[in-house]
Amino acid sequence: MRDTLIDTIAASANPDAVSWLRETISGLSENFEKRPFYYAFSGVSRRFDKAATIHSPENPLIDGWDEYRAARVALLLVLAEQDKEVFLETFFAVLNTADIREQIALFSALRWMPHQEDLIEPAVDGLRSNIVDIYDAIALDNPFPQQHFTDEAWNQMVLKAIFISRPLYRIAGIAERKNQLLAEAISDLAHERWAAGRAITPEAWRSCIGFLDDRIAGDIRKMAQSENSDDRSAAALVVSEDSSGVLEDLRGALQPELESIESGSLTWHTLGKTMEEKLVRKSLT
Amino acid sequence: MRFFDSHVHMVSRTTDDYQRMAAAGVTAIIEPSFWQGQPRTEVGTFKDYFNSLIGFERFRASQFGIQHYCTIGLNPKEANNEKLAEAVLELMPLYICKEGVVGIGEIGFDDQTKAEEKYLIKQAELALEADLPIQIHTPHRDKKKGTIRTMDVLEDVGIDPRKVIIDHNNEETVKEVLDRGYWSAFTIYPHTKLGNERMVELMLEYGAEQIVVDSAADWGISDPLAVPKTAALMKDRGISLEKIEQVTYHNPLAAYGQSGQVSEKDWDGSEGIDPSALFEGNTLLRGGMDVDTAMSQYLIE
Repeated sequence: MRDTLIDTIAASANPDAVSWLRETISGLSENFEKRPFYYAFSGVSRRFDKAATIHSPENPLIDGWDEYRAARVALLLVLAEQDKEVFLETFFAVLNTADIREQIALFSALRWMPHQEDLIEPAVDGLRSNIVDIYDAIALDNPFPQQHFTDEAWNQMVLKAIFISRPLYRIAGIAERKNQLLAEAISDLAHERWAAGRAITPEAWRSCIGFLDDRIAGDIRKMAQSENSDDRSAAALVVSEDSSGVLEDLRGALQPELESIESGSLTWHTLGKTMEEKLVRKSLT
Repeated sequence: MRFFDSHVHMVSRTTDDYQRMAAAGVTAIIEPSFWQGQPRTEVGTFKDYFNSLIGFERFRASQFGIQHYCTIGLNPKEANNEKLAEAVLELMPLYICKEGVVGIGEIGFDDQTKAEEKYLIKQAELALEADLPIQIHTPHRDKKKGTIRTMDVLEDVGIDPRKVIIDHNNEETVKEVLDRGYWSAFTIYPHTKLGNERMVELMLEYGAEQIVVDSAADWGISDPLAVPKTAALMKDRGISLEKIEQVTYHNPLAAYGQSGQVSEKDWDGSEGIDPSALFEGNTLLRGGMDVDTAMSQYLIE
């Protein structure tokens, strides 16, 4: 991964910065010392351009990262090769003193870090941040929570994503890690929102599939009758995946949406993308 | 017109201050690490303090359209607690190369003890290692000797005077500081430091080269609008706009820009304020603040 990352950075970044990165990485690989690592990790900001992004369509995991994040993750991949004590001490020293962009890099690197059992707590803690970019680095496009979080931590993460309007389809494992408590919490949240005259993202109902008790089935019925087409799409997706059969009666009303599902033009992924695009438009206006 | 206040302790200030600073044209600020009034007893509180300088305070300033930078250092007062001082020196390498850290500071002498000298030297060496400017606090007591001694110590370490901003100067210290090639900063701070009429006189005598004006507003009776107010007074007294801009904007930018961590590009697009509103009208900076101007930009939802 390290070489892929460096080659991708090299394709567009300032050549002097890239040679500095290559030399620093080879120096640290041969002889790792903490202070030069600290200087390099934070000093990325002296050499690279935070407004520039790297491009690697074949590597969606890193495609679109800004240069700071990419170069810092490359450096963390050298840290990852050190023995356990040095790794953990350095990782935590850097994390506990990190600025926002450094935290984003650290959390983006979690999937490639060793001793992941020791990194679960900081990841859960990082999600408590009110800074959306830090939340995103942990929750979105990152397999770490799916692999390591307890149900309790997972549910908090998903609920917060709904609260702060993050795109749920980009949470790795969102389809697999649904559970009874999460489904109930989502239904409660929807009822609170409705009482306040507000909506809940239609993506949320995906986590309720398999837990359609009377109350949640009622919620889906409400969505099937919504004037908002995204709500009806979500209801149709739930109906199409539900094996309990309690919502079979909705098939007639949702026929156009179910046909789109049949043809492959409507999936949780397409719905999620639609919602995310609306978010972007909303934030720009 | 835009201002760069290169010395202001915003952790001690309120959002009202930020609103008034933004409205008065303060575009960028530097927050030096300093003593917080109450001596610290644990290194962990330094870590959280540094974290707030590179984190929340920067974020808070950005909410008001102000670019926030900082210098990282162990202040001379607390250098006298040697056990703590050693631990802070261990911590500093984690911070000094970070984005937006424009120097080591504010460091220097307070009581002019041996311990203060030891940590001044160690931190100067750190600045050399990380190729960073140094922001110097000169002592309140026995200032002239302390200032000269500071320059002697820095030169022994091999520091280039062009990379050092010596702050809290007065009529007694300025000549030697300038003659030896340092940036000479003046703090406009009521009662204990320098009033701005004296600053105008200093400008008339020494010109604008290597001169920087700042507020050092902190937890004491001080004025976060000291830089724009002093600019207004300078204009009144016939100092050219070019020279005013030099000491309140271009010089601090050039001095701390040597870190590679601050440049005008960071606030491109910010318009600053209309100088006629600042200098010729008498609402904004004389009788206090035009509150409507400040408030209209920060609607509470």
